[in-house]
Amino acid sequence: MLKAKWLVVLVCLVIAASAVTGCASSGEPRTSASGDTAASSAPAADSAPAAPAEGGVYKVAYVPTMIGQPVTNAWMTGLERVFSQFDNVEFQAFDPQMKAETQVSMVEDLINQGYNAIVLQPVDAAALSAAVQEAENKGIAVVTLNTPVKAKHTAVVQMADVEAGYAVGEAMCKQLNNTGNVAIIQSPPGATLGVNREKGFRDALAKTCPDVKVVGAQNGEWNKDKAITIMNSFLQSNSDLDGVFAVNDTMAEGAIVAAESAGRLQDIKIWGANGQSSALALIEQGKMAGTAYNNSYDQGATAANLIMYLLSSKMGPGKGPETGVIKITPFAATQENVGEIQQADRW
Amino acid sequence: MTVTSLRRLILIFLLLALGVALSIASPAFLTLGNIMTLLQEASLIGIIAVGFTFVMITGGIDISVGAIVGFAAMICVNFLVYSSLPVWLFVPVVIAIGGLIGLVNGFFITRFRLPEFIVTLATRGVLTGLALVIAVKSGGFVENVFIQDPAYLWFGSKIGPVHVVTIAFILIAIIGQVLLKQTRFGTNVYATGANRTAAKLSGVNTDRIQFGVYAMTGICSAIAAVFLSARMMTGMPEMGAGSELMVIAAVVIGGTSFTGGVGDIPGTVLGVLFLALIQNGILKLGLSPYVQPIVIGGIITLTVIVDVWYKSLAERMISRAARQRRAQIAGQTQA
Repeated sequence: MLKAKWLVVLVCLVIAASAVTGCASSGEPRTSASGDTAASSAPAADSAPAAPAEGGVYKVAYVPTMIGQPVTNAWMTGLERVFSQFDNVEFQAFDPQMKAETQVSMVEDLINQGYNAIVLQPVDAAALSAAVQEAENKGIAVVTLNTPVKAKHTAVVQMADVEAGYAVGEAMCKQLNNTGNVAIIQSPPGATLGVNREKGFRDALAKTCPDVKVVGAQNGEWNKDKAITIMNSFLQSNSDLDGVFAVNDTMAEGAIVAAESAGRLQDIKIWGANGQSSALALIEQGKMAGTAYNNSYDQGATAANLIMYLLSSKMGPGKGPETGVIKITPFAATQENVGEIQQADRW
Repeated sequence: MTVTSLRRLILIFLLLALGVALSIASPAFLTLGNIMTLLQEASLIGIIAVGFTFVMITGGIDISVGAIVGFAAMICVNFLVYSSLPVWLFVPVVIAIGGLIGLVNGFFITRFRLPEFIVTLATRGVLTGLALVIAVKSGGFVENVFIQDPAYLWFGSKIGPVHVVTIAFILIAIIGQVLLKQTRFGTNVYATGANRTAAKLSGVNTDRIQFGVYAMTGICSAIAAVFLSARMMTGMPEMGAGSELMVIAAVVIGGTSFTGGVGDIPGTVLGVLFLALIQNGILKLGLSPYVQPIVIGGIITLTVIVDVWYKSLAERMISRAARQRRAQIAGQTQA
């Protein structure tokens, strides 16, 4: 009796195990992985460029802050477009769900797995530094997106952040005729991209239209729900609100929802940043005043091309004394010029 | 063989089976480097889980552990940035502050008879805010400091191939188990959880026990904060947020009961290892990131099903054996 039950348990487990391994083999060819053990179990080969796995296959990982957001999805598409042109590249995405701790352990895991290159959007510039440094020391090229880590690494491909905020600030000054009250929906504290956009925005206001007052600034945690709550409180505490800058489009969309249901949307110029397709559509409908548009497909593809150059030239991580910087310049898209953005460039 | 030890064996068996499946699936799994990273991951959650096991055995819960990690990490950063105190001096202070926060939890729970969940949820909110307040700022914005003090970074380093945090976890787990099984305090912890009124009537100061267990989770969380911030070379106010769920999951998988009175440290260690194994292994399977959380959830559910199913089977077999023995004895007396 006892033995029979054990047998059932065993069978269950074998089925479960084979299901798991079955998924694995469909995702990545076994042959490519066999060479990696050697690479990862030989940490003595410090700073030597990581050799491709057996059969000349390069493994490239993509670790954004979170999978499933418009920007990170657009980057992924851009990366895939380039990598899919090469037969010898295996591309795999990971989701640390906006947690720096998880992201650090993922990067360390990629080192153990013998990846050849990592495209990383750090949750935090300081927190990821040690892990990135370790990866580069082991010959793994790390290209960061938007936020460079504090340690020197191969390169960062970034949307110009301060400049984007500055562009929004200048455009807002013009729309408000240099006077009025504005509020800011912020990113989480410590998120360099959002913080720098806000800095640029405040800078532009101070320089171009000092009569425009910032009446409130609250953390919308990058998300729409939270932005709606914050916008509601801005609306209640300011009977005279003329402009809002949400440091990403998703939060700007939340602000629009709140302003619309309060019946005050036509009085308030709401700006976002990023330029995702839903925001561009809202600009065309006249609901959103504008956004700092950035071609994220292009940004992903740029990072991918850079990595292919490094891998194919067997150069390994960047050898320069400083982190390379590639800037993708955004422009302030408003109702007047949003039509210039091609359908193929909308993400 | 008792039901508890049988259940322990099942968990070990599942752990090994999962390990074997993963090593077949990916050759990168069974390498020294990976096993050490896995243990490091497990240790960070595990240190908190040891303290948490005590709380759960008393039938309580502590939602504030993640927030204590963030707050304690920010205190460390403040010491590093604004003082020249040596590491060996301020780290014990930070750990003591963790204990103090636990005592505050204990105070509200025992003095005002408030539900543990509500008190620690409130503490969690307060600490999350305080962590932001004391965070180092530049120009009004939170600036996460890049820690470079080598003495502090030692906590994130390795001794040979083993991470310091793993060694600390082993020591803390041993201390925890001894405290739980070999001391009067441990016995009273079980008594408080199994039946508080009975424990009180037999002279156990259950309030003091509750103070003790919450102070312990506070201390453990602060210790974890030191290791985590050293590993990440920075402190962040949001650090540790959400880790309470991982801790609860590990402790429950380890066989500690939500209702109290049951559980021990070896079980928790197994639970922690199990979760770390799944999370480490899932990265190597080449799955789409959309599917990964589903597979993790699926494996955990499957494990708990097998675990609970086998436990009830074992209980049935034990009671059947007892019935048979009774029948046998009855037959003998009749004859």
